[in-house]
Amino acid sequence: MNTGNSKNRSTIDEYESRLASLYEEYYDKLAHYVYVHIGNKEEAEDIAGEVFLRALKSLKSYKEQGIPMQGWLFRIAHNLTVDYIRKANKRRTVPMDSVILTGEDNPVDAAEKNIEFERVTEAMKQLTIEQREVINLRFFGGLTSKEAGDVLSKSDSAVREMQRAAIEKIRGIMGVER
Amino acid sequence: MIEDFDRILDECIDRINRGDNLADCLSDYPEYSERLKPLLKSIHNVQKTYAFTPSADTKRAARQEFHAAMDKRRQASSVPSFLKMISRPAVLATVAVLVLAIVGTLVIQPLFNPQTLVPNPDGNFAFLISDEPNDIGDFESLNVTISRVELQAAGSLKRIQFTPEIKTVDLTQLQGERTQEIWRGDVPEGQYSHVFIYVSQVKGKLESTGNIIEVKLPSSRLHLSVPFEVTADTVTSFTFDITVVATGSSGKYILKPQIGESEAQREQKPLE
Repeated sequence: MNTGNSKNRSTIDEYESRLASLYEEYYDKLAHYVYVHIGNKEEAEDIAGEVFLRALKSLKSYKEQGIPMQGWLFRIAHNLTVDYIRKANKRRTVPMDSVILTGEDNPVDAAEKNIEFERVTEAMKQLTIEQREVINLRFFGGLTSKEAGDVLSKSDSAVREMQRAAIEKIRGIMGVER
Repeated sequence: MIEDFDRILDECIDRINRGDNLADCLSDYPEYSERLKPLLKSIHNVQKTYAFTPSADTKRAARQEFHAAMDKRRQASSVPSFLKMISRPAVLATVAVLVLAIVGTLVIQPLFNPQTLVPNPDGNFAFLISDEPNDIGDFESLNVTISRVELQAAGSLKRIQFTPEIKTVDLTQLQGERTQEIWRGDVPEGQYSHVFIYVSQVKGKLESTGNIIEVKLPSSRLHLSVPFEVTADTVTSFTFDITVVATGSSGKYILKPQIGESEAQREQKPLE
């Protein structure tokens, strides 16, 4: 009898099923989260795919110590993003700096979009690293405050407070109607 | 006071993330609306500016890579245990019987084996899973693992089969109008009358207790009798609706096909 091993295996199988079931919903969110950090859509998509492959390889080390699997995926995404930024461009403090939006047929629309993009990016740069991470996890990762708190090892009330302060700062920099 | 506001702002952001509109949230909190409105508009601006939807093709390719990695992992973990098992004398007899069965199957079965189809992202047939909400609310997650799908031609016993690219679906994520495509490929033109889903495992986590339970099936497969047509120049999307229902007050659940919500839809194939 080797119930310990079979129990371990069934736990890993359960984790694997859960990981697979998160793919459809969280691939897009992870790609979006990474995109906001690095400003490159194709690379963001690749990193999102890599998140699931890394998670699959690390299932044995995944323990449900209060962090749901989706939060764990965002931690992996965060680590991969940090690696990417470190390797890709050490000169950039905020990776969105050099992004130029393309794809608009009308050059006036494209120019306006780029100006707006620069304004928002400039406002985001004024946030602390933690505030920026909260905004990214909540608005683009679609996580709840509790889940974002799990990723950042913060309480959900601390996340709510950081979130409000961050939005007020963005609003102060950008104004509202434009 | 500040904490109340933080909580309300947080709730509004959750609602907007789920697709609610800003006005609804403001009208629910008229006493805070003057302060909430500019903040929620700022959020909207930020989200609009960084709007991004990954391409379907890249997502599909990444999904295939992920599922290939899962298959590889499963094979790697199952081979050593199998080798260990056959080294035990008590199991040898069973193995011998199995070998005979396999040999028999290899000789006899090809005569009856359904043709196996391969996936093709530009194929004329997509197979989707959905869930009609009955007792799904009792579950935090309900993972159904599908090993294969068979389609039976109308007026004959001839069947074709395919292995889903996505083998495990969580029905709690597929309620109502939500669907998940699990396979796409080329299916021979013709009329079909039956669809069979072979389910290898169903595991549910109960919302109330957090316990993992095994959900029963009436048999190892779910069967629907629905006539539909597949043609070469259209894409037929077949949605197989599965529902989970509680059996009396025993605390047990069974999985059933839902014929009323299952259907095939055809649309023109995109031009090459």
